[in-house]
Amino acid sequence: MNKKEPIVAFWMIFPAIFVISVIAFFPLFKTFYDSFFDFGLNPMFKREFVGFGNYIKLFNDSRFWAAFKTTIIFTVVSVLLETVLGLLIALVVHQNFKFRGLVRAAMLIPWAIPTAISSQMWRWMFNDQFGIISKLYEALGIIKPGTPILGRPGLALWAIIQVDVWKTTPFMALLILAGLQLIPEQLYEAAKIDGANMVQRFFKITLPQIMQTIGIALIFRTLDALRVFDVVYVMTRGSVGTETLSVYNRSLLMDRAFTGRWFGYGSSLSVVIFLLISIFAIIYIKSLKLQID
Amino acid sequence: MKKLFVLSMLVFVFAFSFAITTITMTSGGVGKELEVLYAQLKEFMKQNPDIVVTVIPMPDSSTERHDLYVTYLAAGESDPDVLMLDVIWPPEFAPFLEDLTADYDYFELNKFLPGTVKSVTVMGRIVAVPWFTDAGLLYYRKDLLEKYGYKKPPETWDELVEMAKKISKAEGIEGFVWQGARYEGLVCDFMEYLWSFGTDVLDENGNIIVNNPKAIEALQFMVDLIYKDGISPEGVTTYMEEDARRIFQSGNAVFMRNWPYAWSLANSDDSPINGKVGIAPLPKGPGGKHAATLGGWNLGINANSSPKEKEAAKKLIKFLTSSKEQLYKAVNAGQNPTRMEVYEVPELKKANPFMVELFDVFINALPRPRAVNYAEISDAIQRHVHAALTRQVTPEQAIKDLEKELKMLLNK
Repeated sequence: MNKKEPIVAFWMIFPAIFVISVIAFFPLFKTFYDSFFDFGLNPMFKREFVGFGNYIKLFNDSRFWAAFKTTIIFTVVSVLLETVLGLLIALVVHQNFKFRGLVRAAMLIPWAIPTAISSQMWRWMFNDQFGIISKLYEALGIIKPGTPILGRPGLALWAIIQVDVWKTTPFMALLILAGLQLIPEQLYEAAKIDGANMVQRFFKITLPQIMQTIGIALIFRTLDALRVFDVVYVMTRGSVGTETLSVYNRSLLMDRAFTGRWFGYGSSLSVVIFLLISIFAIIYIKSLKLQID
Repeated sequence: MKKLFVLSMLVFVFAFSFAITTITMTSGGVGKELEVLYAQLKEFMKQNPDIVVTVIPMPDSSTERHDLYVTYLAAGESDPDVLMLDVIWPPEFAPFLEDLTADYDYFELNKFLPGTVKSVTVMGRIVAVPWFTDAGLLYYRKDLLEKYGYKKPPETWDELVEMAKKISKAEGIEGFVWQGARYEGLVCDFMEYLWSFGTDVLDENGNIIVNNPKAIEALQFMVDLIYKDGISPEGVTTYMEEDARRIFQSGNAVFMRNWPYAWSLANSDDSPINGKVGIAPLPKGPGGKHAATLGGWNLGINANSSPKEKEAAKKLIKFLTSSKEQLYKAVNAGQNPTRMEVYEVPELKKANPFMVELFDVFINALPRPRAVNYAEISDAIQRHVHAALTRQVTPEQAIKDLEKELKMLLNK
């Protein structure tokens, strides 16, 4: 082997390493570093090293734990619903039928609309006076007339989960559909000859074959759901028990950047969100035996 | 065109002398605001040929403007020279603003509404000049009140509850809509109840006094409006200004709490309640007084600007806040003057009668708690008051929690 090759290779990938360091690793390490200090962005405030002080404060912060709980409920429920519904939709649109192309394109619309816009749209549809969803639920007897869906503790979180499911199920369906299309037809033909019925074919062939795809899709969705921000912020701003970790973090890092010494504290919350996401990612990778490389 | 005009002015000016000072100012662009400002600046530059003013238009959202200012000021930029500041910002931005205390007489601040001057005074220093003002008002349906035999709008909160109950039941509409969503507007509404019940969040010296029976009573009253008296829809806990206005303007509410801006919209040609609307001060509480939260905008000077720029900026602010220009702005852009004598000019009464009739409301409007970390205090008030309004905690508990958090935020 040519001795120069590794050196050339290094210089070839150096720009990529450099760019990734600047845009990904530097902010990450800066956030880690900042989380050990007590400071604000106002030049009047002095930086003070506090070690793990911010983390200790965070774990004694009831607002943090409330947001933590909300985030976990939101993630578990919405990802579960999205996966099940996405799988069902994928199985349907995988079949051959008329206008299949049209249906596949149309089903992506909720996912294609920017979340900030669709959330505002849903906020109006949930309005107690003129919201069409409110009127529908009233007609179905699910809620009493005049109930502000986004102003009721409990109800508001479900409404937000519902919007998220509406928005991201198409994404799940699309990923799973891609997985379904990779399954060789011969497997099914062989199974049919052996006398396997539809349910058996699904559990013995389809599901194991798309497990990898579902795993990847689960990682994508779970990581997204754990840092959910826009749909919550637009619809309720985190009121009535819908505050997630990211919404709380915005309040610490943006509203309070210049008026208090919260910047290090906010950084420590960012680190916790980062670690939380990492833990979920590792659990998935291990339990589903995913091959990342 | 305007840009071209300013640019050609600039070139012209540079060609002939170096005695010219160029300054920049920020401005909002809501409604006819920017148009009116351009006309005023044209006049100013005619009067002061040695000064050129360029305008940096700002986003409509106050939060976005705030973030932009934070970026400019923390970076130590010398531009913009003149800053248009929301009434709640002076304490937060004071370290970055020019001290105008010595110019009290130059700006004739003794002729301004006292509340507005108070809002630009930070620890005894004056850091900005009030430009236009705002206050919470009670809108009511004149026609409906008459129909049910009421000659006057409600004087007290109890009267409002009684009227709203009777009329809303008979008409099948809402009684009273206001701003109850968890955001800055809720703080404005909450403060008005506190004051009219005779109490406050902080006292004159900045001590926390919110945990008292009157405050609990005031918050209980807000909760009762929704759940006991039933005159406010439960949905007010999700309403902001425009949500409330939409309901009121479509004829679906008897009373509304809102700012002066809603007047011209409610009386526009396509409004179903055109000509049927009255405006009154917000009712008195058991504390025995009407109370309104102060809103509005001020003009401050960037402390990093050069002495020459600061001189020019002062001239500009004096011009824009003069009686003549405030009248022009009030008539053409519908923004309330901050100088008292403007309210005596017949022209103003003709264009916006309520500004003159409700002069007392504007003169008595009170500022929200003044503190360097107002943003944090506001956030605490929003969360705890909203928790009570949505019945997650009792008013008593909410006030107790608020006190606890304020103690932490103010280190007391």
